[in-house]
Amino acid sequence: MDTAESSSTLNKIQVQRFKPDDNPDKHYLNEETGLWSWLTTVDHKKIGIMYLASITFFFFIGGLMALLVRTELWTPAKTFIEANTYNQLFTLHGAVMIFLFLVPSVPAALGNFILPLQLGAKDVAFPRLNLLSYYLYLAGSFIAVYAIFSGGIDTGWTFYTPYSSSTGGAVTTMTFGVFVIGFSSILTGVNFITTIHKMRAPGLTWDKLPLFCWGLYATSIIQILATPVLAITLALVAMERILGIGIFDPALGGDPVLYQHFFWFYSHPAVYIMIVPGFGVVSEIISTFSKKHIFGYWAIALSSLAIAFIGFLVWGHHMFVSGQATLASMVFSFLTFLVGIPTGIKMFNWTATLYKGSIKLASPLLYIFGFFFLFLVGGLTGIVLGSIALDVHLHDTYYVVAHFHFVMVGGMVMAFLAGLHYWWPKITGKMYNETMAKIACGIIFVGFNVTFLPQFVMGSQGMPRRYFNYIEQFQPFHQVSTIGSYILGLGFLMVFYYLVKSIYRGKQAPANPWGSRALEWQISAMPPLHNFHHTPVIINGPYDYHKPMEEFQLGLAESGNGHGHDVEVTKEGEDLSAE
Amino acid sequence: MANHSSSASESRFMQHHFVDADQQFDAAKMGMWIFLVTEILFFGGLFAAYVVYRLWYPELFTLASEELNTLWGGVNTVVLIGSSLTVAMAIKSAQLNQKKNIAINLGITLALAGVFMVIKYFEWTHKFHLGIFPGEFYSFEGIDHPKANIFFSLYYLMTGLHGIHVVIGMGLMAWLLWRSLKGHFNSEYYTPVEITGLYWHLVDIIWIFLFPLFYLID
Amino acid sequence: MSGHHISTDKTLLGVAGALLFLTILTVGVHYIHIPSPWNIIVAMGIAIFKATLVAMFFMNLYWDEQFNSLLLISSIAFFALLVAFTLLDTLFRPEIMPGF
Repeated sequence: MDTAESSSTLNKIQVQRFKPDDNPDKHYLNEETGLWSWLTTVDHKKIGIMYLASITFFFFIGGLMALLVRTELWTPAKTFIEANTYNQLFTLHGAVMIFLFLVPSVPAALGNFILPLQLGAKDVAFPRLNLLSYYLYLAGSFIAVYAIFSGGIDTGWTFYTPYSSSTGGAVTTMTFGVFVIGFSSILTGVNFITTIHKMRAPGLTWDKLPLFCWGLYATSIIQILATPVLAITLALVAMERILGIGIFDPALGGDPVLYQHFFWFYSHPAVYIMIVPGFGVVSEIISTFSKKHIFGYWAIALSSLAIAFIGFLVWGHHMFVSGQATLASMVFSFLTFLVGIPTGIKMFNWTATLYKGSIKLASPLLYIFGFFFLFLVGGLTGIVLGSIALDVHLHDTYYVVAHFHFVMVGGMVMAFLAGLHYWWPKITGKMYNETMAKIACGIIFVGFNVTFLPQFVMGSQGMPRRYFNYIEQFQPFHQVSTIGSYILGLGFLMVFYYLVKSIYRGKQAPANPWGSRALEWQISAMPPLHNFHHTPVIINGPYDYHKPMEEFQLGLAESGNGHGHDVEVTKEGEDLSAE
Repeated sequence: MANHSSSASESRFMQHHFVDADQQFDAAKMGMWIFLVTEILFFGGLFAAYVVYRLWYPELFTLASEELNTLWGGVNTVVLIGSSLTVAMAIKSAQLNQKKNIAINLGITLALAGVFMVIKYFEWTHKFHLGIFPGEFYSFEGIDHPKANIFFSLYYLMTGLHGIHVVIGMGLMAWLLWRSLKGHFNSEYYTPVEITGLYWHLVDIIWIFLFPLFYLID
Repeated sequence: MSGHHISTDKTLLGVAGALLFLTILTVGVHYIHIPSPWNIIVAMGIAIFKATLVAMFFMNLYWDEQFNSLLLISSIAFFALLVAFTLLDTLFRPEIMPGF
């Protein structure tokens, strides 16, 4: 270590090695048991699992709605449900998938579980706030579900005015539900940023922060900056319906396009709330399964922040045909192309990481490869949509539908599944059936493409989105798409089956099944109640695969106070043989 | 940062996952600041709507602003500045371990917030009497502009949202007052006073902008 | 660096006095009727100055970790972004409300 000599003026701390037990008797699930311990827990791991269960539930609800919508589109006219029901189904499919599944998926479920482990912290900075934000999410979800049964909504998930301020149904209830969920999202963001700043273990400097944490950091920044604007916008829609304030209502002198500005100021960055944590997952998995230092650490870390920032400058590309000024459209279109740069940087760095790596094609990596292909298509078609002239033609067609499904499902859901498979042994202490995982990944990949590739074609030929009836020339495309959606649904059910099965029948996972160097793998297979029995000390980055494993399992030798980030860890006085 | 006092970590309000009281205090404060960021952008949506409409209809804002009482708006500004001062004094008292002064200052803050809301109440009810309601219920004839309702929609929304924040702040102040009377706060532990103070100052800052934006247009 | 700065009475009362004075000043300026757009600039300038005083000396940013100041500044920057890009549309439309 070259730091050993240069650090004589800094604080020195004594470290020793803590080799993790594979399967200790006591872990976070059996130290406190019973329903009450779950409902009142402030443990980030249990809260993460509760999120995981909730989003899985809503994912299948939203997926069921998607299947109903696709089935209805089997024939050009009515197939089996009424047009009004159809409108409500696609609205709820969008709202449920975005607000109840995608936004909390990686940050709140996986992030909650993994973030403190990767930081070497005992918990997030505000554990009670964390629990509160889960309950707010749950409350918001129930309000949203209640809205479905108390009149339903047919505005689409975007709630565009003036339609949303004049249509019947439970729009007010639904906006309130989304408002509450937004508040939960904000609190998670507040919690994560503070945690990353204040709770890092001794020696965990910013340049050693795992890229998943960088992804969550960028995501949290978007959450705290964008979500409040959505909250006030939806509050204004609710006020329009209740008090008739008319800020967005042309009949009262308001401007409906202003609503779209405010809405997309949140909802475009929200796309990055959904995808950026997925980027973090990809970086972790790529490095682990190619046994190689990540290529371009800073480029990947900072490009997450760059995407977060540029994401705030491009919202007007959703409004090219809304009547906004031509000048604004031109500026927004130009800025939209800039998003391609940091995203491209990421893709190139990931492929460069794989290059000459010692690649182990396990199921998490397979999902990541699926991500690469699908996200690339999704991203590139986004560039197409970002150019004004083409967008005027393609706006509100199935081309747009296919594009954002390639990004959201092909990108984010694949990354989420990859992360879930990757961290499953850490969360449950069990290994799932690897063969089934690979088969399911293949089925999802095929099913996805069969569903959404035809939509690009019919979209570019002019098939509008959200329509109940369509002209007959599009029927073959719709039918292929519907068949694809069944295959996709089957794939997701399979994943659910073997993951749940592994909890009961799976074989015990070792502490570090993938041979990763990251901190969360240096504790037992199921983490202890307070994560670490010792205070971990970090001297190497999480991707330093060229260094021996024992250098990644260090902790304070005696119970002292190693916190405060100006502490430089040296190897002096370190006793690697002590255990 | 490197030298932590070990006595502080034995405080009864120390949470298990922090290393020491300083880390807990700094984390709480940073968390509050991040929350204030969200508050600024929450109000930001309304301020943005204000800017858009004011640039569209500058003459409307000049006309409609005449209906607002500059005197009472000014008095409310002074009242809020006073309450900000007393919150800052409460924090200082806590830092100096003057436990009685914490409660006194918090009490004054609560009272001033009450004064603010009472003045607000009279301002609003006076306008309701004239038929100045937001949006579609607007029925006042005194302003010769077709979009006068939009100005008052913004006025009610922005002062209303601010008022809600004042009421929430009063709830927090009452809670702090209760805790300070129980002797929870001292120079080692006053985190809730500090971060609620930050919130209260932000509410003050919002009003500092609302006052000239609505009452002082000519 | 540490967040435990103790303000003196003199500072706190001084800041409150300055805020009071600026409030009176901004009302006074209102009655002078400065021509537009300077009236808005002066009113907003005074408000920004008052807000800065509150942020620095009541909210202790002057003595606090710089990151907290950065948070405040970035929130204002993103608010400015929201306003600026919205104005890029609303100020440059051929008709204020197209189609109505």
